[in-house]
Amino acid sequence: MASKIVTFTLNGKETEVMVKPFMTLAKALRERLGFTATKCGCYEGNCGTCTVLVNGEPMLSCILPAEDVEGQDVLTLEGVTPSEGLHPLQQAFHENYAVQCGFCTPGMIMISKALLDKNPHPSREEVAEALSGNLCRCTGYDPIIAAVQAAAQQSAGSQGGQNG
Amino acid sequence: MTTQAYFRPQSLSEALNLLDKHGPALLVMAGGTLAVPLVNKGVSSPEKVLGLRQAGLNYVRQANGAVHIGAAATLTQVCQESGVPLLAQAAKNVGGWAVQNMGTAGGNLFAPPPAGDLAVAFLALDAKIKLASKARGERIVPLAEFYTGFMATVLEPDELVVEIQVPKPAGNAVLLKHGRLYTNTPAIVTVAAHVIPSDGKVGDVRIALNAVGPHPVRARGAEAAVKGKALNSETIAAAASTAAAECEPFTDPIATEWYRRKMAGVFVQRALEQAAA
Repeated sequence: MASKIVTFTLNGKETEVMVKPFMTLAKALRERLGFTATKCGCYEGNCGTCTVLVNGEPMLSCILPAEDVEGQDVLTLEGVTPSEGLHPLQQAFHENYAVQCGFCTPGMIMISKALLDKNPHPSREEVAEALSGNLCRCTGYDPIIAAVQAAAQQSAGSQGGQNG
Repeated sequence: MTTQAYFRPQSLSEALNLLDKHGPALLVMAGGTLAVPLVNKGVSSPEKVLGLRQAGLNYVRQANGAVHIGAAATLTQVCQESGVPLLAQAAKNVGGWAVQNMGTAGGNLFAPPPAGDLAVAFLALDAKIKLASKARGERIVPLAEFYTGFMATVLEPDELVVEIQVPKPAGNAVLLKHGRLYTNTPAIVTVAAHVIPSDGKVGDVRIALNAVGPHPVRARGAEAAVKGKALNSETIAAAASTAAAECEPFTDPIATEWYRRKMAGVFVQRALEQAAA
């Protein structure tokens, strides 16, 4: 079985990883590269917790072959988190009680970041629609939607956009 | 068995050569939203996988009054680039954002009901699909003749779906999806109706249904009930009851057979009412 080296940009850094044929990006991230913020929930594209951004677009890393991101730009939650403190979305999730068990949070933050990057001031409906592929079994979603809108308001003040 | 090889052809001819060489043992996928879950769950253990993401089939082009959609164009591309509201709406109805970024127009044709809603819009617009094999070249098949049963099509083992050719709507086209949630929801029933008026009557009509049969299907009886007639409450009711009678719904965790049949009638009625307006 011929393993292959996949070269891609991970959180802004040129990265090489050795993968077996058809290994998923989530597995390569977690088990080969030690980037464990990305979680695997359902392994079938229903729950969204494995969401990463590929060239800024949300994709599901547990059903995405790692070889398909050759030469692409991948952002995970590790790349969103600043070296000090929290990203505005993370801060807003914390302040709005949007995290209970926390298992969906990595995917929720990634898809929310993709949304705010494209639409800095989404309506409640736009947030709900963007997050519709990400399941949370704890919060009832309201605190998560509130957190995304709070983060949007905050970045409106600071014109923030650092940290990926 | 673990996968021994993942082929990522960079052109259609390369893909067809690989399919010819390795045969039906290949698991063919594009976006992976249907195929990879089967592998992750151990339902499928392919020795070799053919991935079409890079095979040059991810285009949406306008040509001769039709939209030509490459089989590997993503649902997001169909939504943003097709220029046909009915197709955009249908693509938007499939999965969440990430699934739309990965799932493809060609792949969605193979999604078993209640998934696979894109085909309803394609059927209502009388789409044709281009199939290709190394041995026999290309052929064009009307989508209405593509499906032969549950997860069964006329596709030969050495063929790939290459392109979907969708004529632009000539009349009023309406798509209605009834699910349990507002968005990102499996269908209880999905209905697309395309009414081409002529002299105040229905010149031509196509009504397509999904989630109420083994595959996306034209409601031929319902079409016959309104073709050549004026669309009024009487003819629309006749079409709706015919559609409910002729569909073959099933029970699953989303809805019962009884409810799906009931809703097939209700939503055919609503679709025709909107198309008549």
